[in-house]
Amino acid sequence: MRFEKHCLWGLMALAALLPLLVRDQYVLHIAIMVLFYAVLASSLNLVVGYVGEFSLGHTAFLGTGAYTAAILSTQYGWPMWATVPAAGLLAMLVGVVIGGITLRLQGPFFVIVTLSFAEVLRLAADNWIALTNGPMGIAGVPQPALLAEAGNLDAKQFYYTVAWLLLALTLYLSFRFVYSNAGRAAVAVRENRYVAQSIGIQPLHYSMLALVLGALLSGMAGGFYAHYISFVGPEVFRFAFMVSMIIMVLVGGKGTLVGPLIGALLVTFLEEYLREAKELRLSIFGLAVIAIVLFLPRGLMGFVVQWRASRRADAPKVAVAPSQPERRAA
Amino acid sequence: MNAIQARKTPRALEVRGLGKSFGGIHAVRDISFDVQSGEIVGLIGPNGAGKTTCFNLITGFYAPSAGRVRFGGTDVTGRKPYHMARMGIVRSFQKTNILKSLTVFENVLTGHYMEARQPLWRTFFPGRAVRVAEAAARESAERIVRTMGLAHRMDAPASVLSCGELRLLEVALALAAKPEILMLDEPAAGLNSQEARQFGEILKTVRGTLVESILIVEHNMGLVMGVSDRVVVMHFGQKLAEGTPAQVQSDSKVVEAYLGGGRKA
Repeated sequence: MRFEKHCLWGLMALAALLPLLVRDQYVLHIAIMVLFYAVLASSLNLVVGYVGEFSLGHTAFLGTGAYTAAILSTQYGWPMWATVPAAGLLAMLVGVVIGGITLRLQGPFFVIVTLSFAEVLRLAADNWIALTNGPMGIAGVPQPALLAEAGNLDAKQFYYTVAWLLLALTLYLSFRFVYSNAGRAAVAVRENRYVAQSIGIQPLHYSMLALVLGALLSGMAGGFYAHYISFVGPEVFRFAFMVSMIIMVLVGGKGTLVGPLIGALLVTFLEEYLREAKELRLSIFGLAVIAIVLFLPRGLMGFVVQWRASRRADAPKVAVAPSQPERRAA
Repeated sequence: MNAIQARKTPRALEVRGLGKSFGGIHAVRDISFDVQSGEIVGLIGPNGAGKTTCFNLITGFYAPSAGRVRFGGTDVTGRKPYHMARMGIVRSFQKTNILKSLTVFENVLTGHYMEARQPLWRTFFPGRAVRVAEAAARESAERIVRTMGLAHRMDAPASVLSCGELRLLEVALALAAKPEILMLDEPAAGLNSQEARQFGEILKTVRGTLVESILIVEHNMGLVMGVSDRVVVMHFGQKLAEGTPAQVQSDSKVVEAYLGGGRKA
């Protein structure tokens, strides 16, 4: 717990320093995308890592959030500080509906049904032209009023700050959840449903809590995305986003709070720098995921945590042997 | 200990005419017995006698086809497993069931779920009350781990424990839920005779301190006869005999069920 807390503080402090040091718009853009993906991956991790069910429908919440913000701001003139929370709330409602249906299923059944929910929403976005403008998408999502006079760099710094705050909120809520009685209950459900029930835990209650919290956060990320990119089309529901999120969570380490951040950082940078490899890029990602699943099934952070645990488990043994005092320091 | 003292009236578990059939197979038929407050009751019988089914029926993992289960006079037949746990009846499983990726301490801490429950908003904005409750749960978890003799394994991941330690952890996890009645399904399976004897001693210490009564299914006769106040014998889904360990051991029907009938000349 403490180790993870320190890691999170350290990473967030570094992230807060970045806009003071970097004045390059391109780098800032990538940094904003890293923060955005970190929010998404963290929210997916709440379901995949702490409930233990593999959701392929997380884009449903991202897309709902993005469309909510886009429609509210273009048609009703809501400002950004109102659309982003509204996006989160609506995504949360969608989470309650989808979770109420899908969380009664487990394993492959859950995977398939969540995937189909995202697909249904994509089809709706594609065809409900009156609301979503169909495949054309909603262009020209307004920027906040205070950016009217600002230059491009200032705008980037503004969005960077918003994304940082969003990530801070995500990490605060996730941290509180994970290290609470509720989080322990969710982990108990993940590890063993029978044991969880026999100590008084109602499984659906906690898988719902995690899923709805994840929906809220990814909905807000979607709202942020709508304003930042200033365009929302049906591709927010597409599988490509889902693939990125999954890779981030798996590479970073599911079931850890730091993992998705590391994953988001690595994958976003790789995606950017492997652009030159073009079509090969996705194949390289595929191979990387296979390698991770085979050799580091718990991801990079999972590996670190395990390594630390095994060192701690060894330490008392050394302490028991009186002939070799203080070997622990070695 | 406080949790037990706080309960005013001792409650008994009453099982009346319990039955379950899977298709045409009557796994359990017309089983009746009581577990009085403060008792350790053994439930024995040859393999396939329906002991585990009986457990599943009482704790709500199966819905009974017939009969009633009452706890402290309240009808609790067919309640959901988590509901039974909240009533004060917590079970362990025949095949070792623990939270594998967690440490021993974390397992037992998770077992304090009901005690450490908070309103939803408190999860995200914990105040002093939550910190106090968490500290109490941690302290109690540590005490239970020590009572079960697992202190040296406190921070070891459950996945590295030996078979005997796992069985102890399983009981510790169930005890952490502060049950009134602890139901153990073959807790000594896989233990050697010395470990089983120690296990029996531990059961006697926890009765009256961490738990009121114990219902235990076990094949290790030394253990069951040593700890039980009363023994219920099942055979082919039905109750064959009931009595003190000495009575049951001298019952000719019980001997026949275990060793087979004498040759009829």
